[in-house]
Amino acid sequence: MLYRTAGQFKTSYKADQALFPVRQDAFLLTIILVFAWVIFPLTASEFAFQTLLIPILIYSLAAMGLNILTGYAGQLSLGTAAFMGVGAYACYKLIAIMDPILAILLSGVFSAGIGVVFGIPSLRIKGFYLAIATLAAQFFLVWLFEKWAWLYNYNASGAIQVPNLTSFGVFVTGPQATSVTQYYVILAIVTVMTILCINLTRGTLGRTWKATRDMDIAAELIGINLMRSKLTAFAISSYVVGVAGAMFVFMWRGAAEPNLFDIPLSFQILFIAIIGGLGSILGNYLGAILIVGLPVVLNTVPELMGLEIKSATVEHINIMIVGSLIIFFLIIEPHGLARLWALIREKLIIWPVPH
Amino acid sequence: MKHFTKLTAAAVLAVTGVAAAAESLYVPNLSYRTGPFASTGIPLMNGQKDYMEMLNARDGGIGGVKIDFEECETGYSTEKGVECYERTKGEAIVTQPWSTGITLQVLPKTNVDEIPILAPGYGFSPMADGKTFQWAFNVPGGYWDAADMIVQYLEGQDGGVSGKKIAFLHLDHPYGKEPLPLLNSLAEEKGFELLPIPVGLNEMQNQSAQWLQVRRERPDYVVMWGWGAMNAGAITEAVKTKFPMENFIGVWWSGQDADLRLVGDEGVGYKSISWSFPNPDAGVHADIKEHVVDAGKSLSNAEEMGGVFYNRGLVMSMILAEGIATAQAEYGEAMITPAQLRWGLENLNITAERLEELGMTNMVPPFSTSCANHTGHAGGWMLEWDGEKFAKVSDQLTPRVDAYKPLLEGSAAEYAAANEPWAVNEDCNAES
Repeated sequence: MLYRTAGQFKTSYKADQALFPVRQDAFLLTIILVFAWVIFPLTASEFAFQTLLIPILIYSLAAMGLNILTGYAGQLSLGTAAFMGVGAYACYKLIAIMDPILAILLSGVFSAGIGVVFGIPSLRIKGFYLAIATLAAQFFLVWLFEKWAWLYNYNASGAIQVPNLTSFGVFVTGPQATSVTQYYVILAIVTVMTILCINLTRGTLGRTWKATRDMDIAAELIGINLMRSKLTAFAISSYVVGVAGAMFVFMWRGAAEPNLFDIPLSFQILFIAIIGGLGSILGNYLGAILIVGLPVVLNTVPELMGLEIKSATVEHINIMIVGSLIIFFLIIEPHGLARLWALIREKLIIWPVPH
Repeated sequence: MKHFTKLTAAAVLAVTGVAAAAESLYVPNLSYRTGPFASTGIPLMNGQKDYMEMLNARDGGIGGVKIDFEECETGYSTEKGVECYERTKGEAIVTQPWSTGITLQVLPKTNVDEIPILAPGYGFSPMADGKTFQWAFNVPGGYWDAADMIVQYLEGQDGGVSGKKIAFLHLDHPYGKEPLPLLNSLAEEKGFELLPIPVGLNEMQNQSAQWLQVRRERPDYVVMWGWGAMNAGAITEAVKTKFPMENFIGVWWSGQDADLRLVGDEGVGYKSISWSFPNPDAGVHADIKEHVVDAGKSLSNAEEMGGVFYNRGLVMSMILAEGIATAQAEYGEAMITPAQLRWGLENLNITAERLEELGMTNMVPPFSTSCANHTGHAGGWMLEWDGEKFAKVSDQLTPRVDAYKPLLEGSAAEYAAANEPWAVNEDCNAES
């Protein structure tokens, strides 16, 4: 009923391959965009910005970067956090000479370079063995962030602190920046990146990645240059992850020490990608909402209900609930939340008369 | 529908509950009773909580208003800490961030949000400069005070420190690196050799590599800046490698009874500098027993309550309570604002007589603060493990603040410059 496709005729191949073959999809997306661009910023409290909206967007972007590599090109990576770190530290050095927003966008270039270097082994090793190679990147880079004092300007505490910086006369980073400004900067970057990623994965490059993922020997036989395919996946994925890392520190955390980029963060992003759905763009957002947003919301529930529970107990219950939800979703749909949505959508299209 | 009515009822209850509780001062504590650092966190947080519960039960709070002392669980994670800060800052009159990482994160925000940040004995040492860090307090002593007092104590031992080799075993984290600038300058001045040995966050429980280095380098002393699982790891490793315990000295966060109880007699001689000391005969313990423990409101136990950390928790809450009381007296109102509390914390005067009135004799050295001095530099004692408990082995030590004042001010100025525009306290004329 709601998703009736009757009367929507496609008269050309182009229309059939369009981004939104069903009109309702475009309508739904418009509603979401209106919420994200207008309604949330107007109504959200400081708490909502800092613990829900901003982190969900940043984590979604990081997961999207990983998804390009793991979900589309099939190269398993456990080094996401380290590549985020490269972006953050590069941004820290770049802000000294340029506008902060430009620095954030450029910092991805550095992590792309590092990503390509650590991607070279992927030409020879595959699957779990490649995961171990990226794990090496993870440990090596975090060690480098600790030992190379030039990276954090020889700060005695070894941490990087985000200064107050302006872009076009408005504070965009540091404690002087308002949450709304930071939210809009992040949202703009994430929106542009998402559009780029959707189009990349639908285009030639995306198709070569998918061919590489599904069967690399067959892909090579039909004339795909595996080296180019894998290394572009590493480069683009690391670029997106690096930008997410720069925003992670500069637009949200405000300070970072090297161990922030340690393996737990890599796992968290990998889980977002897996639970959201590998090989999907939408999945990253759904995964981030579940893994990053839900615990925050759950934490406020006992208080809203007027229950007196100790905060340590709330934390324990929270971990249990989120854990069981992850298991629940993986049981009912192992291919992730994005696939779950796809199934619901298909059911809606044929409802109320399923064949 | 039934559910909905229940929910609405709960919501209404919650709202009225908040309204009824409006006549209390909201004092959140960003605690960590979960995670790898819980073992060190729990006794401290129990102490803090019990003292406030005691005030509520005995005196009906402070100045006639109850203290709404609420914990927000962080698990020592910086991310959760910031979440807790954002959640509590609207109503709170103070923030107690409880980790050097969270403190560094929250420090620039409090200067914009104008909420006092109370970090007793931890955080960024240059916070002592109250003119620059007008909202931050690390009473009654910062890490540089601790480092200076340890060196002072070693100077008093036979042979002094000149020409000696001192290994600095520290957590490779902002917390562990904090005293390095001061130790480096002291090494130069006093002529000892400083050998920093970092312990990574994932090597805390297995420090064999670090202790191998200690054995190879044969330092005269090992000074430790450890926390959580690292303390127990280092102490057991020191016992295993037969390092002479009397030459092993920890900061005040490395002096927990439970860590030493693991090794018992083998740990005899281990030392820890401390600005607090348990005094089981003090009046405060009797009051807590009567109003909190017997009422069944305490989460602690007898063994823990005799320990260094629980008692330090009591002192921390006492400092905050005194700050609140001072502000209430100055402004003549019970419901103080964050800005008024800041005045209270800047004008603390904890004398020996006041400590006796509070029932805390000898639990902390007397100290006072001013708008320029946000630390108080109370000093402390060197404690030594005697196999069962910690005992004082030195007279009260006082940090030689004048000697490193330029370093403090330099770091504070550097921080302010890096965080332009940074609001400083222009009205403060006091020297220190």
